[in-house]
Amino acid sequence: MSAPADVRLDGVTVGFGDFRALDGVTLEIPAGQICVILGPSGAGKSTLLRTVSGLVSPDRGSVAIGGTTLDRRSLPGLRARIGMIHQHFGLAQRASVATNMIAAAAPAMPLWRALLGFYPAADRRRACALIEAVGLQEEHLARRVDRLSGGQQQRVGIARAFMRDPALILADEPVASLDPRSAGEILDLLRDQARMRGATVLCSLHQLDLARSFADRIIAMRDGRILFDGPPDRLDAWQVAQVYGRAAPEQVMLEAAE
Amino acid sequence: MTIAAEQWTFPRVYGGRGIAILIAALLVLWVTGQRVEMGRMATLTGEAVMVQLGLVERSQVADGLGKLMGQLVPIQLSDQRDVTRIEGFDPDRLPLFSHLETVATKVERLDPQSMRREQVIERATVLVRPLGYLGHVAIKMLETLEIALWGTVIAVLIGLPLGLLGARNITPHPAVRVAARSIIGLLRAIPDRISALFLVVAYGFGPIAGVLALALYGAGFLGKFYAEDMESADPKPQEAMTAMGAGRLLLWRFAVLPQVVPQFIAYTLYILDRNVRMATVIGLVGAGGIGQELKGRYDMYEYGHVGTILVAILIVVLLLDHGSARLRHRWL
Repeated sequence: MSAPADVRLDGVTVGFGDFRALDGVTLEIPAGQICVILGPSGAGKSTLLRTVSGLVSPDRGSVAIGGTTLDRRSLPGLRARIGMIHQHFGLAQRASVATNMIAAAAPAMPLWRALLGFYPAADRRRACALIEAVGLQEEHLARRVDRLSGGQQQRVGIARAFMRDPALILADEPVASLDPRSAGEILDLLRDQARMRGATVLCSLHQLDLARSFADRIIAMRDGRILFDGPPDRLDAWQVAQVYGRAAPEQVMLEAAE
Repeated sequence: MTIAAEQWTFPRVYGGRGIAILIAALLVLWVTGQRVEMGRMATLTGEAVMVQLGLVERSQVADGLGKLMGQLVPIQLSDQRDVTRIEGFDPDRLPLFSHLETVATKVERLDPQSMRREQVIERATVLVRPLGYLGHVAIKMLETLEIALWGTVIAVLIGLPLGLLGARNITPHPAVRVAARSIIGLLRAIPDRISALFLVVAYGFGPIAGVLALALYGAGFLGKFYAEDMESADPKPQEAMTAMGAGRLLLWRFAVLPQVVPQFIAYTLYILDRNVRMATVIGLVGAGGIGQELKGRYDMYEYGHVGTILVAILIVVLLLDHGSARLRHRWL
């Protein structure tokens, strides 16, 4: 079990051409918190997560994880402590579950071991243990990812994110491609694993009800800015309407179901 | 209520521009067709067909083809060798399935006494192996297949690194990509029949030149298609690997390779298939295998032998087509 890391964003601005995806976002997430970023499409949720993971570098402002400022030099070391979960799972479809699991440990092992398939025993054991922890069976290990259901694929995605004992989990719309029932199960699984293994979670969602039951804290965004920041029970209907424009909460739910 | 669509016009199929392009294309075909004697081709072919129907007396093409076909058949199956030319020949211990024959050949010779030309009948004992030439062709065909196999192996060994360096998402540096793409372009630009000519000069007659000629062209082909396939691979797993801190090689191994393996197998099979067909052709310039045998027999006017070789090539190519189609069907 690792010690969870805190995350600080200080005046982070990210633009793509004329479009400002993030507009001076300042944010502090204490270690071990499960924090949901809520907002409509294009609000900047994904960009926020991609900035924290170093996939996008900010035009202005800085990101610090566990007290280390994110830059070119610190990026490799920080990435080893971050597990990422993706909306479309980010798994190699034609490869087996086992190969996808070991891929997360590959950057830490000698290159020849990773390329020739002589994976260290500790990594193989850990992959098995994690696959069991996310509720899959031994027979799934050898199965190709494209033979699994969406829910099972995201279980693999979660297991993989925990392969290197991360201090921070970044989940970018982890349940957006799943049906409502597996969505709830997956988020419960993510929370349980994060609490058990000691990781801060930063998760973007657009389903309000799921966010309420999952999060310690909700950050609602719109147009690259934070409109609400607080515990789920303080997010009321008026604030939801602010975040989602004029749309009533019922319509928000409709949008979420798409 | 009026329906607005009654006033609409359906888009015309043949517009002014289309007709202009059609006319231009016909003009180009007319001019170029005259330069490559398309009219004469039509006349000659038409004559050849009409001869078959009995409408015309003679046809140059039909006569030529008929003469050639007459010489190709019967195809040569046996192998005859003068026993005096076989070292350590022992008439009591003949090789398996062979027998001796005496052949008489008329030879014109100058009589040293009378100083006049006279016909002499020379008798020679030859060792006949009934399917000897067939066996010889089979061995040459095997050599051709081996040339194709090794041409493919070396093509993969060169093409895969070139493909990796030439793929935008794997290459270590854009300049390396440009260099790799240039090499690929160069390799593809030289047809293997041409490079075989030069390689025969460099390496001498025989299979080495054939293997290298096929390998160089195959490497260019595979490099190009490997690279393009890797570039168009699904980016989502690649981004996930990047977020895990993986370098280019690991990204390739765990996020790209699993996606492209089926296409890689398909391309490689195609190159193997192509190499078998091309290996017979480049043999014609002396690069080993059945093609070299074909060229040799053709130049010695031994058309029966040529017939055997052509039949053998046809059978192997048909078998190969069938085999690779089945492999593709099973794996992809």
